Amino acid sequence: MRTLSQIPDNAAQQSATKTAAVIKLSIGLSGVVFLLMMIFGLIMRAAQAGWVDLDNALFYQLLTAHGAGMVGTATFSGAAIMWYFLARHVALNATVYIAFLGLFLLGVVLVLGSIFIGGFGGAWNFLFPLPALSGGIWEVGAAVAFCLGYISIGVGFLLYYLEVGYKIARAYGGLLGGLGWRFVWHGDVSRAPPPTVIAAASVTIFNSIGIIFGAIVLVATIVNLLFPEFAIDALMAKNAILFFGHVFINASIYMAVTAVYEVIPEYTGKPWKVSRVFVIAWAVVVIFVQGVYFHHLLQDVNMPKWSMVVGQVMSYGSSVVLIAVTVYSTAVYLKGAAIKWDLSLRLLVLGVIGWGVGTIPAFIDGMVAVNKIMHNTMWVPGHFHTYLLLGEVAMAFGFAAWLVRGRAIRETSALDRFAFGAYVAGGGGFVLMFLWSGASSIPRRWAVHYAQWQLQSQLATVFATVVVLATALLVAGYLRGLLRRGTEQ
Amino acid sequence: MNTVLLSTLCFGAALVLQPMARLDPVAHMLLQYPVLGVSGYLLGLKMPTAPDLRGPLLVLGITCVGFWMLPRSLDAALDSPGMHLAKLVTLPLLAGLPLGMSVPRVGAVLRGFLKAQSLSMLGVLSFLYSHAPIRICNSYLIEDQQRLGAGFLWLAGGLSLLWAVPLFLGHSLMPDLLLQRKKHHDLC
Repeated sequence: MRTLSQIPDNAAQQSATKTAAVIKLSIGLSGVVFLLMMIFGLIMRAAQAGWVDLDNALFYQLLTAHGAGMVGTATFSGAAIMWYFLARHVALNATVYIAFLGLFLLGVVLVLGSIFIGGFGGAWNFLFPLPALSGGIWEVGAAVAFCLGYISIGVGFLLYYLEVGYKIARAYGGLLGGLGWRFVWHGDVSRAPPPTVIAAASVTIFNSIGIIFGAIVLVATIVNLLFPEFAIDALMAKNAILFFGHVFINASIYMAVTAVYEVIPEYTGKPWKVSRVFVIAWAVVVIFVQGVYFHHLLQDVNMPKWSMVVGQVMSYGSSVVLIAVTVYSTAVYLKGAAIKWDLSLRLLVLGVIGWGVGTIPAFIDGMVAVNKIMHNTMWVPGHFHTYLLLGEVAMAFGFAAWLVRGRAIRETSALDRFAFGAYVAGGGGFVLMFLWSGASSIPRRWAVHYAQWQLQSQLATVFATVVVLATALLVAGYLRGLLRRGTEQ
Repeated sequence: MNTVLLSTLCFGAALVLQPMARLDPVAHMLLQYPVLGVSGYLLGLKMPTAPDLRGPLLVLGITCVGFWMLPRSLDAALDSPGMHLAKLVTLPLLAGLPLGMSVPRVGAVLRGFLKAQSLSMLGVLSFLYSHAPIRICNSYLIEDQQRLGAGFLWLAGGLSLLWAVPLFLGHSLMPDLLLQRKKHHDLC
């Protein structure tokens, strides 16, 4: 097994410096894009509330940009976090990360161009045949540019995972070693891979598979756009898109959780231990995160019955694994420890709680009986906004706060306490409005809401404004921290 | 077994497959093409390559494979004796050989990328051949074309296993080839 200690000091140091710089840049970019996408979300909720007069075509462009932007940035920030911490355990090549960043930014330019220049409004999940059915609102070129943007982002991620997978396989005797399966067999804790390596190996496996499926369906979509005679089997396309999309967005949070494994021990003084249960839980995640996507297709009556069963059972199973292992372990590590609660720790713990709570609406919607009524309502955005806004994004901001914190852990300042409180209150209220709307059978993805539906949207707009302001404070705090640390060095 | 002998056997097998290739696109594209490519690839493993040449060789090999994947080329190889001969010469010498000289010696990330890209492109080819509303090869029936589409998917599945298993286990299923690769890598 090759460890970092065997890498020549100079090379390791240079690589670490380069990595730290690009990760700080990535997190800064993520923060700014999160803020911008939240503003798009605020405008859409205000339009649904009847407070802003928004052209319908523009609403769907904003919806597409918000979806693609948030999914992309959540996964991008998760990737930055995982790379940063994985580099503590294996020697990663910073050049690969820079190539990933370049391809990601190229993809963003194409996606934004397709939306705001080409007028594409076919939603982030480009579900067949919507990209080709614009009703004259966008041209084929815009839809093709959107798909090419995704392909560029996918290629970037593929390079990223190849580097991660190769280095883990080399250092830990294959990916099975990195997943900790050898440890399950021999039980020698001293030879167990760290939690971050186990998480990274797991995400590398399932997200690489997801990206390959995504690439296939994206190219098939482009062929269909350019040569409509090549019709795609709609159900097959939906399966491929939702498999890719579900796995991809889940990867964001499974990568970001490495910040919890690496940062929380600094506060508790207790390292995050690897146990057989921990390894088995991650092994289950690798399988379940791929199989659970069937719960997106519970309304497709021509899907085979077994897939409905798998979708429902795995929806339950995924939540149990997550809540039993990560949420419970976090509580155990924090319990009884003398901790200084600074902004970073608060946000990371919020991220774990938000993630756990966010799965509850998911497995409720994962029941066939509920799904047939709730799936196309605001209930579903309520679920994913909980585990993203209060989960992954909170973890990303927690990591950002930790990056610029300095060595000493200080008590939270009044401004940080205010920003955190506003984020929790605004975010909590905002997602509750989605869930309430869903429970009231208000449909999702509608640009115009009836007057009877507008109360929830109006309250959501107020909460969203609070979230945007709190996020602006968090982003400003990170940028201020970067400047301060730059001056100190 | 001696690499040159193995390469010659592969080439011979490709010639034996010709009558089948004429009747069946699956045998043509998924059996004869790869066997011809492998005959050159094996020779390429033995040949020293300057690091600067690896990139151009890779591009040459991929371009040649891309050319012979075109339905029009597939047809031409059956209709024209000249193109048939060109196939027998170029698939080993302009596809397999340069790929053998370059692929095992490029960085692990690029090699992995090429593999992942091959898998997704096999998926795309599967879609194209199974969903095309017309016969895209004049020499074969539409049912054969759709079977070829399914064949691409099976090949993608098989290659995924072949490439993923060593990555999981931490050693290659093809130790001899890898040893040769390492030896050449050290030499270059």
